[in-house]
Amino acid sequence: MGIFDIFKKKEPHYDSTNIRVQDLDVGFVFDYDLSTWEVQAIYEYDWGEDYFTREFKVSNGSITRYLAIEEDDELEISLSQKVKIRALDEDLMDTLMQSQQPPKKITYNDVTYKLDSEAPGYFHDVAKGDSWEEFRSWDFEDKAGENVLTIEQWGEKEFEASVGRNLKEFEISNILPASK
Amino acid sequence: MGIFNRIFKVGQAEAHAVVDKLEDPIKMTEQGIRDLKKDLDQSLQALAEVKAMAIRSRKDLNTNKEMAKNYEQKAILLIGKAEKGELDAGEADRLATEALTRKEDAVGEASRAQIEVDRFDTSIASLDKNIKKLKSTITSYENELRTLKARSRVSSATQKINKQLSGIDSNGTVSMLEKMKEKVAQQEAMSEAYGEIALDSRSIDDEIDDVLSESNVKASSSLEALKAKLKQQ
Repeated sequence: MGIFDIFKKKEPHYDSTNIRVQDLDVGFVFDYDLSTWEVQAIYEYDWGEDYFTREFKVSNGSITRYLAIEEDDELEISLSQKVKIRALDEDLMDTLMQSQQPPKKITYNDVTYKLDSEAPGYFHDVAKGDSWEEFRSWDFEDKAGENVLTIEQWGEKEFEASVGRNLKEFEISNILPASK
Repeated sequence: MGIFNRIFKVGQAEAHAVVDKLEDPIKMTEQGIRDLKKDLDQSLQALAEVKAMAIRSRKDLNTNKEMAKNYEQKAILLIGKAEKGELDAGEADRLATEALTRKEDAVGEASRAQIEVDRFDTSIASLDKNIKKLKSTITSYENELRTLKARSRVSSATQKINKQLSGIDSNGTVSMLEKMKEKVAQQEAMSEAYGEIALDSRSIDDEIDDVLSESNVKASSSLEALKAKLKQQ
């Protein structure tokens, strides 16, 4: 290694011998549930008072999922997939339109989710510059705290939903960095 | 060996000695580990690239398999329509043949993608094995360095303490304590001497005041009381 090589490259933001979920970036790949997933996009959420969370759009070639990480007192990870509002409940869309608020309890695929928290926030696609979009989120959780369901409101009449499960950090393994 | 050659050798030896002094083995090892980590990082990136290509090939494989299935179903539907008389037999044959040709193309693409997937999987397995080995080597070096650093710190502290205790270091704590001890002894001797001088220079008035002082009066009256008590017994 020559003396001028020091100035050529910046040190990576991760430890190569121990790359963690928080280090994920676009192009990184990891193993989960016997499948290899590639990070395709990063989304940032601003919940106010300097509190941010991140979400990664990941794909294994067949399906796309959303891996959300939240570092509060401890690291919380969840993997979700989008579902249609009407798939959750036939009347849910009407309820949302009328009261601008979901019910306190939703049952989907034999799992009962109860409303856990509600928060307004700002969404930002890291790849698409610095524009932030306002939205409102309702987070539901089942009794065991294993399954999660989220309803988001974008504008007055646009609602989105996703269901997923909380993961333990060890379930995400073999994280590999993207080439620069 | 000529004189110049010998002088050169002496110079070389001295230069090596200077460099040896400058060389800190801990810092050199840390740099070595950093270099190894850079190599590991590049290998990880290469593996990530191959894994990403494998994901795309697998996606191609699935898409082409679905396309092949789809065209086959379309060909079956076309033949069915012709049999029911809903479509001209010649036209149905032409369209069904076209659909089957496309199905074959998709099958061809799928088998190409399958070969790629297999090739990538083999590369991934081999790269993964080498990377795991490199990673474990680096981790063991890091652990060893951590232990050596701790040992070095302990030995350096021990050396410092022993040096102080042995009194080799005149500026050290032990010699400072000795100096302090001497100074205190000197001060004590001085205060004692001053006390003696003060006693010698007492006047008659001082002695009278001393005898009549309240504590002395109390002490003598207590003495009188004790004597009276002893007489009664």
